[in-house]
Order: sequence, then C-alpha cells, then structure tokens
Amino acid sequence: MAAFEYRQAQEIRDAFKRHGVKYLFIGKSGAILLGYPDTTQDADLFIEKNAPNCEMLVQSLLDIGFQLTDQQAQEVRREKGIVQLKNGPFDLDLIFAPDGIENFDDAWKRRVDVDGFPVCDIDDIVLSKQTTNRQKDKESLPRLLSFRNWLKSRK
Amino acid sequence: MTFASIITYMVEPGVLRQWQEEFEAAAKRPLKQRMRYAFIRTYKPVLDDAPFRAFDTMEEYRQWCEKNLPDWLGYGRI
Repeated sequence: MAAFEYRQAQEIRDAFKRHGVKYLFIGKSGAILLGYPDTTQDADLFIEKNAPNCEMLVQSLLDIGFQLTDQQAQEVRREKGIVQLKNGPFDLDLIFAPDGIENFDDAWKRRVDVDGFPVCDIDDIVLSKQTTNRQKDKESLPRLLSFRNWLKSRK
Repeated sequence: MTFASIITYMVEPGVLRQWQEEFEAAAKRPLKQRMRYAFIRTYKPVLDDAPFRAFDTMEEYRQWCEKNLPDWLGYGRI
C-alpha cells in the first residue's frame, strides 16, 4: 500500500462532509496539517461518539472504498475506543476516546480549520501524546512541544 | 485542559534554533507538498498484519500493543 496522500485527505474531508460526520484530525497527522515537519504512517481521526455520527461514518468509509464486512461495520457503529482500518485505500485509525482529551465538544470548540480539514488544537495533540506515555512519543515530544510554542508565538 | 497541564522539556539552544528553522521552512511550503514529505509507508510487524482491529477502550488497545508488538516499535508505555 502507498503512503497517505493529500488527495486521500481530501476524500475523507469530502465524504465526511457529504454525510455530515463530525471528526477532527488528531495525533501526528493532525500536527502535520498544522505545519509540523515530521513523518508518520497513517491518519488518525477523532470521531464524535454518538450513534448517528457513527452510522454516517460507516457510510463515508464505504464511499471512500474501505471493505467493511457487516460485522466490522457493526463494530464501528458500536463506538469503540479505537478502530484500526487497513482494509481500504489507506490506513486509518478511528479514535473515539483519545487519551488526555475529556470530550469531543471541547476539542471541537478549540479546532483549527486548515484548507477545510478540521484539526485538533496543537495543545490537545500535545496533551494527548503526553498522556499516552509511550516510548515513541516520549522521544518525539520535545520537538512537538517546540513546534507548539513556535506556532503559538506566531499568532 | 490548559497549557499548564502540558509538561515542558529542556532543549539545547542550538537544537531548538535548528528546529525553529525547520518550522519556518515548512510553513513556506504548501500543504500538499508538506503532506507528500510527511506521510511514509513502512511495514510494522504484527500491527500491519490484520486488516481490521477494534478495541472497546484505549486502555485495552494499549495493553494489546504492549503484549503483542515488538518492543522496538516503541508502543510500550514508560
């Protein structure tokens, strides 16, 4: 499978908008949209956790080309903690309850719009990475936090 | 959530300056180009071996990662 591309981010944006899915880019993919120069493998989306939103999410994923079985679609509808998809045109992590963020509504109010892509505020991205407390995040956090400080200083 | 919740780190001034130059340079590139440089594809053992995984909670996912993924991938918690 090839790496995630701008065109595919557009497909997410357009399909989710068409179906009215409420979501935010989060994690390193979110930071990259905000301007952070680094590398990552997949896109992470923070999905608002409610039944109608998850139903529209399933429809959007099918539109984009994810091959969901009935059982897998049902898992997405059940508003899990996290769903990892590697059965479509690109890899996608759907996160319903990210570490360090109390609720979707607050994160939504703080969101940043980048070319029509709704992205978590950099503070939410940093805090989520810190709360996860993984080795790979610990190594990258000083640079990410420096980016956060640089970004905030420009406003 | 406030910025006070975020842990800060000490970074050497020379390193910090270099990072800031990278941030400035990236800001001059269009989003499409930044994304082309940012997203890469490498095989991650175990993690990439199933087309679909779902976990009821993030904690359940973290525990699965710690139990099943090679340590060198860095998914283990500190």
